[in-house]
This record gives sequence, C-alpha cells and structure tokens, in this order.
Amino acid sequence: MVLVIIRTAIIFITLLIIMRLMGKRQIGEMQPFELVITLLIAELACIPMSDASIPLLYGIIAIITIYVLHEIMTLVDLKIKPLKSLISGKPSLVINKNGIDDYQLKRNNLDVSDLIESLRTAGFFALDSVDYALYESNGQFSALPKEDYENLQTSLPFVIIDNGTYNRKNLELTGLDEEFFNAILQKEGVKKVKKVLVLTADGTGKIYLQVKGEKYRTTHVTYPNGKTW
Amino acid sequence: MAMRHALETRCCILHMVKSLTAILVAAALLIGLGIFEWFFVQNEFSGFREELETLYEKVDDGTANGEDAKAVQTAWETRKEHLHTWIPHSDISRIDDYMSETVRLVAEGNFTFALAKLEILMHLTKCLPDTYSPAIENIF
Repeated sequence: MVLVIIRTAIIFITLLIIMRLMGKRQIGEMQPFELVITLLIAELACIPMSDASIPLLYGIIAIITIYVLHEIMTLVDLKIKPLKSLISGKPSLVINKNGIDDYQLKRNNLDVSDLIESLRTAGFFALDSVDYALYESNGQFSALPKEDYENLQTSLPFVIIDNGTYNRKNLELTGLDEEFFNAILQKEGVKKVKKVLVLTADGTGKIYLQVKGEKYRTTHVTYPNGKTW
Repeated sequence: MAMRHALETRCCILHMVKSLTAILVAAALLIGLGIFEWFFVQNEFSGFREELETLYEKVDDGTANGEDAKAVQTAWETRKEHLHTWIPHSDISRIDDYMSETVRLVAEGNFTFALAKLEILMHLTKCLPDTYSPAIENIF
C-alpha cells in the first residue's frame, strides 16, 4: 500500500513535469495539474474495477493519494506565488505592439499557424486587428483588439509565407504566384524569404509582413487583373 | 465595504483550514493504513511460515500424514480470506497451488517431493511480503 502511494506520487509528479514541458498546446481550459489528475483518475478507477486480481483497495488508495496531492497543489497554487508559476505556468504574450513574438510561440511549442487559428477562434481574422494576444497558463487564448479592429478585417487573409516557407495551397487559392510576392519582399527590403516570419494577404490587397526579429508592417498592393476575394 | 472584506478574509481562512484538515485526515488515513498493512501482511505470512516449518520438520522426520498437511491448508484458507483485501490475488493463488500439491504428496507419503514443495512455500512466505515494502527495487 505504501508502495501504491509512492508510485502514484511519482507518476503524478512526472506527468505534471511533462505537461509543463509540453507547453500550452496540450492543455485545454485546465491547469496542468488538473489535467494530470483527470488523466490519472479514470485509469486508477478502471484498473482495479476490471482486473479482479488487484485488490479494490489499491485503486481507492491511489485515488485518495491523488486527492491529497490535488489539495496540496491547490493550496500551493493559491498561497505560494513563486511556486504557482512553477506548477501552473505563466501566461505567454504572443502578440504585442511589435507583432508576433516568435520566441514565446516556440517556448510553448506553437507556430504561426496555431496562433492564427487561435485568433480566428477568438473572432479575429487579421493579425493586425489585435494589440495584444496571449495564451493563459491554462492554455486558453485571450486577445485585446484594436479600437477599429472591425475595419481591419474586411476580407479573409491567407497566410502566404509561414516561417520562411511559401504556403503553396494558399498561393493556389489566391491565384497569385511566388514572383508577385517576391517583388513585394524586394520592395520592402527583404532579401530572403527565409527571413520572413509571416506574410499574409487579404482580398483588399492588404499585406501583413513581419520579418523575424523585427516589427510588423502593413502595406497595400493592387493584385494583377484587379483580383479580389 | 470593510465588513465585506472581513467576511471574505474569514471565508478564505475557513477554506484553507478545511483544505488543510482534509489533507491531514487523508494523509493520516493513508499512513495509518500503510502501517497496518505492513504489520498485518508480515504477521500473517510469518504465522503461516511457522506452520509450514512445523510441517516441514514432520515430513523430514517421516512422521507427517495427510491430516497434518490438511490442517496447515485449512489455516491458510482462513488467513487468505483476510489477505485478499491487501495483496494481489495472483500472489495468493501461487501459494494455493503449492499448498494443494503438498497436501496430496504428504497424503501419498511422497515426502521427497513434499519437502521440495514446502521449501518453495517457505521461500514464498519470506519473499512475498517483501515485494510490498517501499524499497527502491519495488518502487521502480
């Protein structure tokens, strides 16, 4: 029984560390330790229930151990601030007034596509429609929109360059080619596509460009043959 | 406003006391059960080992009969009813198997094979309780 208690605690702590290392992608609306408990409780209840050779007490003891650990974690989470960030993590500011913070995205095992997806889920379709965006410690996404954000997203933007690589599917959808965007990059003083963190183009001709390590910029272009979407 | 703040603080303290009490009660329960299990399992197996040792001596002397072996088996049946709560049933069934074979061998007067089975049983009564102790090799 002491063995069950020790083993449960070890698995709990290991899972918690792994969940914290995995970043916010793996968490959904729960604190990391809550997710760990959710993962463990179901299994702990099931195994002694279905395997008659294991005493039921083993499952009960493990569940009580989990309960004790949960209560300790909750207390630590509420009362000891330095440990709170260690156990539950901190919010990550992924968009600020300079644009996307690539470092924060990487720290949470996310990329630009994930960020754009989160923005869309939150109701923001253009990267420049928000001043700030962050992933909370429980994995939820929050954004502070610009005052006139509705005027900034009149057409659906497509990601054309994502982390230095052209998105062929989106290029096809827009009906434009690499040459057209290479010319825009040249005009903006960007020599290599690899240096581009993200480039989006919407149907009105608005281009959102952010070079790695630089502030984002927006520009307006006219598409060939008066194309719009 | 001040009254509301005082009320909120009181609620907060009460909640903390409740959590701490729950942690302490549950931890005490776990530790208590752990200690009880340790002594109970050790005691049951050591009692059974003593019975086996007596039977072993009788078999070694050639004075044992089926009744003696059956008495040890009956005593084990009583012990195992309680042990089922604390240890995996597969471990208990290993002892069941060897015990049944021993009873048959002693009843038939096949003492050489009976001694071998009894040695296995005595070894099991020593090593099985140790597999539940919180030692490094058992944890990992």
